[in-house]
Amino acid sequence: MKAFMQRTTWITWVTFLEAIRQRFFAFLIVLGGAMVLSSVAFRFMDFGHGELKFVADFGFGGMFLFGSVLGVVMTAQLFFSEIDNRTALTLLAKPVSRAEFLLGKFFGTWLVLAIFVFVLSGLLGAVLWSRSIELNELAEKMGRLAPEFSPGGLVAFALLQWLRLGVVIAIVLTIASGARTFLYAVVVGALAVVAGQLQWIAQDVLLKPEGSVWYRGVLWVTSRLLPNLEQFNIGDALVLDPTSVPANAVVQVAISGLIYMVAFLMLGTALFRRREI
Amino acid sequence: MTSAAISVRHLTKDFRVGLRGLKLRAVDDLTLEVPRGQVYGLLGPNGCGKSTTLKIILGLVTATAGEISILGQTYATAEARRRTGFLPEAPYFHKFLSGRELVRYCARLSGVAPTQLDQAVEEALTLTAMTEAAGRPIGTYSKGMLQRIGLAQAIVHDPELVILDEPTAGVDPVGSVAIGRMIQEMRSRGKTIVLCSHLLGQVEQVCDRVAIMDRGKLVLEGRVEEVLSRRDRHVITVESLTPAARAAAEAALAAHGAKVTSVTHPRRSLEDLFQELVKGSRDA
Amino acid sequence: MRSLYFGILTAICWVLAGTYSETSWRTVRPCIPEIGRRDIEPTLGQGVLLGILGGMRTVIADGTWVRSYVLWERKDRPGCETLMRTACALDPRSRYFWENTGYVMGYDMAHWEVRRRGGYAKVPADVQEHLYRSYARRALEVLDQGVVNTGGNAALLIAAGQLAEMKLKDQLLSARYYRSATESRNAPWYAPYFCARNLWEAGQREESYRWYRKIWEEKLSKSEDGAPDDLKNLREMEQALHLPIIQRIPRPAWEK
Repeated sequence: MKAFMQRTTWITWVTFLEAIRQRFFAFLIVLGGAMVLSSVAFRFMDFGHGELKFVADFGFGGMFLFGSVLGVVMTAQLFFSEIDNRTALTLLAKPVSRAEFLLGKFFGTWLVLAIFVFVLSGLLGAVLWSRSIELNELAEKMGRLAPEFSPGGLVAFALLQWLRLGVVIAIVLTIASGARTFLYAVVVGALAVVAGQLQWIAQDVLLKPEGSVWYRGVLWVTSRLLPNLEQFNIGDALVLDPTSVPANAVVQVAISGLIYMVAFLMLGTALFRRREI
Repeated sequence: MTSAAISVRHLTKDFRVGLRGLKLRAVDDLTLEVPRGQVYGLLGPNGCGKSTTLKIILGLVTATAGEISILGQTYATAEARRRTGFLPEAPYFHKFLSGRELVRYCARLSGVAPTQLDQAVEEALTLTAMTEAAGRPIGTYSKGMLQRIGLAQAIVHDPELVILDEPTAGVDPVGSVAIGRMIQEMRSRGKTIVLCSHLLGQVEQVCDRVAIMDRGKLVLEGRVEEVLSRRDRHVITVESLTPAARAAAEAALAAHGAKVTSVTHPRRSLEDLFQELVKGSRDA
Repeated sequence: MRSLYFGILTAICWVLAGTYSETSWRTVRPCIPEIGRRDIEPTLGQGVLLGILGGMRTVIADGTWVRSYVLWERKDRPGCETLMRTACALDPRSRYFWENTGYVMGYDMAHWEVRRRGGYAKVPADVQEHLYRSYARRALEVLDQGVVNTGGNAALLIAAGQLAEMKLKDQLLSARYYRSATESRNAPWYAPYFCARNLWEAGQREESYRWYRKIWEEKLSKSEDGAPDDLKNLREMEQALHLPIIQRIPRPAWEK
């Protein structure tokens, strides 16, 4: 087990070094950062939601959009660069198991996305914090209710986003394990992420006692095959209205994400074992 | 359990190609044994199934039929792979790593103990003459250096069996000879080496045994001297041969029933000439 | 055999993941505003997809709203309604979107329709009335959805009450909305009066007085100034109902 962990750690580290050097990563993190910072300039477009909500929405959107793109494209790219350049041949001819290889790729990419999520969250936190101070002063002067901003909620949200991206990476790795080409892995991976983002529709219908047995059966299978990625999007509530979030919500969503990650990685390993390098 | 380093019996590999799943036979009923402590050459034209055979031996590709044994294990277990080093054809490594970092990385993956890591890495770099360039990023390496650093990563964990797939492909003759010397050095240390190569001259020089494959089948296998020598012909090299001396020699041989079929000047190989002319030049 | 065990373990993990996500989804469901799926169908592909998928809902809803104003200026009824409903669907907790969609549908769109058919001079009064009523009904549907999505926002209930009274001419319905507004959080001070007035004018005079009096005694009289205007209205109602002195509201010390 110790050797397993050590080999996985080494592959993780090299994958991380490779990923962090990619221009694509630098480009998206700069774009995401610019989006978060510019949200203050666009706040005049807000229609009565409260300025902080508008700014937070910009940040959450940047993290969601660019994080998903990064998760799908970078994972597939890192996987196929090993296969196409035949570095996987060198690695897998050593006493490295397919599971170690796949986990190394997973953790390496996930580590890079941790940087992405936490850098953007830090920026967003700074913007929200500075604006909330100004708005609080203004509210005090005008005798209005001050808007709420929870830094702890932002940390919880960042963790959930990171977990969501972990599930995305696991999905794409599973698809890439059985895919022949990079393009196929990216397209199918992106579709799977979109489907996962919409999976809640099936779950919502299942929560209500309606529809035929067949219809409900199809929805049951769909809701089990695809992860519910929408459940990670509770940023608004966590950051701006933390009292509305049930105490165990973050923990439950995190556990759900972790189980999905394990399930996808196990399936990915099974597929990758059958793959001829 | 066999005493051979590698044993392959009735190995067959079919690939499915196209949407209709047409079968393409890459290896066809191959049987061979690689004895321990020898340099074994696997020869054949492109697409004859050499690389596929090596991949099956290393567990990277599954066989359609047949059995293999590697270092006494019935398939390429992690233990067997720990005792094996592999240099793939046209190796490519992460360009951002330095040569030393790559060898170190591969050493850790191959299970070299942390206490022996530094020594193992330096030994591998020394053997492959890469010590000087080891601090440079791999992206700056020439083709020959890439092959040598590839060799270093393959032997850093002191494997019993080293599999080299086209180790001299794209390397100039000087580098090629250097790699040949490294192979001989490894043999002298008791390693078993499997060498896939197109450079027949080099194979002839370094290999103890050869196997020739064509269209997935084994067409010839044996010791190099055995397969190359013509038992019904002999070569005598003579200095200062005058026409009279030649006529007398032919008459003497004819008296014993022998017949001179050709008299030519011995030729040096172009490789020998090249080596002589560029002696001292280094691949850097 | 090892592969079989691994396969079984993977399948178990998969079923566990799906089952547990049901539990976690039930817990977080109330924290996530529900998107009105049917409302956004016509505008899918106009950047709205991104909003549905979870990112930048507010920003895209705002962008959609800005675009709807362009169509409002052009008096493009179907386009304007679609975009406004999309904004509501994307950000269903925003009072602003629901309220203004209700107003535009209930007041402006009926007016556009009359103009499209040739103007007030040309369109017969009964047709005009029919148009006002039909658009008012649609606007009330929107406002009702908004009330549900915003947790009973008083401003939306007031808007619905106004619409029911002015365009639908249904004073009982209007009274119901004002009554709900009175009972909601942040109820405006005038909501009880409008409720009582509508009930009164709809013929339910006694019920109107009883309810208004109850509200005044329980809530309004406890305000800082004691709500003298409401008391004055109640006195007028007592007069009109010819209530004996004993049945009237006891006179507070501050009443003139």
